[in-house]
Amino acid sequence: MIQRIEEITLESLLPRVFAREELTYSQVWRRKLTFRRGCSYLVESASGGGKSSLAAFIMGARRDYEGRILFDGRAASSFSIADWQELRRAHVAYLPQELALFPELSAIDNILLKGEICGEIDLPRVEAWMERLGITARRDYPAGKLSIGQQQRVALIRSLCQPFDFILLDEPVSHLDEANNRIAAGIVEEEAHRQGAGIITFSVGNPLLIDNPEKLTL
Amino acid sequence: MGLIAKLLRKNTSPARLIGFALSNFIGLLIVGGAVMFYFDSRGVWDDDDSVINTDYLVVNKKVTSASTLGDRVSTRFSDDDMADIKAQPWVRRVGEFSSSDFRVYASVSQGGRGMETALFFESVPDSFVDVPLADWRFDPDSNIVPVMIPKDYLALYNFGFAGSAGLPQLSEQLISGIPLRLYMRSEDGSRTLQMEGRIAGFSNRLNTVLVPDGFMKYANSMLGSGTPDAPSRLIIDVSSPGDVAIADYLSSHGLEVSGDKSASSAAYILKLVVGIVLAVGAVITLLSLFVLMLSVSLLMEKNRSVIHRLLMLGAPLRKASAPYCAMIWIGCGAAWILSVVALVLLRSLYAGALEGLGVSSGGLLWGIGVTTLLALCVIVVNIVAVGGKIKSAWGLRISHV
Repeated sequence: MIQRIEEITLESLLPRVFAREELTYSQVWRRKLTFRRGCSYLVESASGGGKSSLAAFIMGARRDYEGRILFDGRAASSFSIADWQELRRAHVAYLPQELALFPELSAIDNILLKGEICGEIDLPRVEAWMERLGITARRDYPAGKLSIGQQQRVALIRSLCQPFDFILLDEPVSHLDEANNRIAAGIVEEEAHRQGAGIITFSVGNPLLIDNPEKLTL
Repeated sequence: MGLIAKLLRKNTSPARLIGFALSNFIGLLIVGGAVMFYFDSRGVWDDDDSVINTDYLVVNKKVTSASTLGDRVSTRFSDDDMADIKAQPWVRRVGEFSSSDFRVYASVSQGGRGMETALFFESVPDSFVDVPLADWRFDPDSNIVPVMIPKDYLALYNFGFAGSAGLPQLSEQLISGIPLRLYMRSEDGSRTLQMEGRIAGFSNRLNTVLVPDGFMKYANSMLGSGTPDAPSRLIIDVSSPGDVAIADYLSSHGLEVSGDKSASSAAYILKLVVGIVLAVGAVITLLSLFVLMLSVSLLMEKNRSVIHRLLMLGAPLRKASAPYCAMIWIGCGAAWILSVVALVLLRSLYAGALEGLGVSSGGLLWGIGVTTLLALCVIVVNIVAVGGKIKSAWGLRISHV
């Protein structure tokens, strides 16, 4: 359906639950905002500001919003289920805050599973990332038995294992120390750069330490 | 097995799947068995009368002492009687028997020996006679009359008369080739007619000597008294020969059915029994369909969040439904194979018993065909249900903001 997505545009977007509330200052809600491929963005908000909602809106998981979301000018509301699945497989990678790992599968199987959906996985590169993030020893542990921080790293690697034009990272390092945060940021930037993709990361206070993101307050 | 399939098969209950396969097998077997038996035994029940359809009843009024004493009117059907019969819901058509209003003598001469008998003729509308129209036509110029006689007459001659009189037995083919000399005379003897008769067929169901309606009209106009009697026998085309309503009507109106009607009643009862068995089988199959639907649905409900997470990773819907579709194919396939095997075994059990009665073939094919069709229906309905379930899981909302 789509070759590459160059821009994701939000037009007067607002979660429906906010519709009747007095809105504090926001650079996202009820504005026109464009995310461009190749650029980095950090969307910051207080808890309850709706950042996970925004991610879910962009990924097509929820539709309870007002306004429009456009992928290269094409309204998300016109997408079929198959369009959304292709978007998720080949254009927009997503690391949800709740990680959505499969606890009964091992760390490596959680990542290899992505290969069954999105195409072949470059195993040596995955193993190199695991090494850098210090989770190689947990490679064959069931994901459910890992610490939240370890799970976050597994999920981060999994989110990178697909072709993408944008990557949405919702609180990707909330349970990581600064050293691991920097390693994670480095890996994300490397892979995004390799694929020519845009990075959109969300945070309530412990942001992924990528270089010079455009900061937006939700 | 792929990781996706492994995740989606979590919580699978083999016991439920086996339970479904067994119940589906029983349902398919009952339906398939009933269909198979019906088609296999058709030959036994179907009347082999090739000239008179089994759906025709020949009825007459009971002969009473009064009719013997000369009151011939009491055994005849008045216009009111006819109208009443025609108004019955199970009646398709009614035909009247016309009888000859003259004397008939038939003679056969064979190898120097001759035989002569007094005879009578009756006719029914030609549309009730299932003999090719070309063979059942009277042409006044040709001088040949097609005649149909009851099979019983031939049996009576062959097994009763021929032996005691030292005459040869005759086959149907042979007698059809023997010319029958017919001599007809009016009551007062003033007018006569000579014709050649040709046996056009034998009937199990008509106890009369039948000639084409055209000939009857012709001969009655030539030799008759000119005042035709009301008919004393009717031929009725009925919608279902074994219907109880027919028997009730006939007995309450003092009517009798001539000819053998047991075959058609038995066929009716057979159809009824097969229908009941089919209905039971269909209900069991339907229940098994719901058992499968419920168990797959329960399984998918348990795995709903797994399905949702896979879909959020971009898994195509087809991939997410594949393991459940595979389960349906395997469950139904197993039930189908079992039922086909059971049908073959079942048939070998009763084939011997039916052999002597003239079993018709093709029952097994019908049984397997219907079973296959039903199994496919169960599969399609369930796969459609799985598709709906996957779509609803796709739309599952992330609960927190």
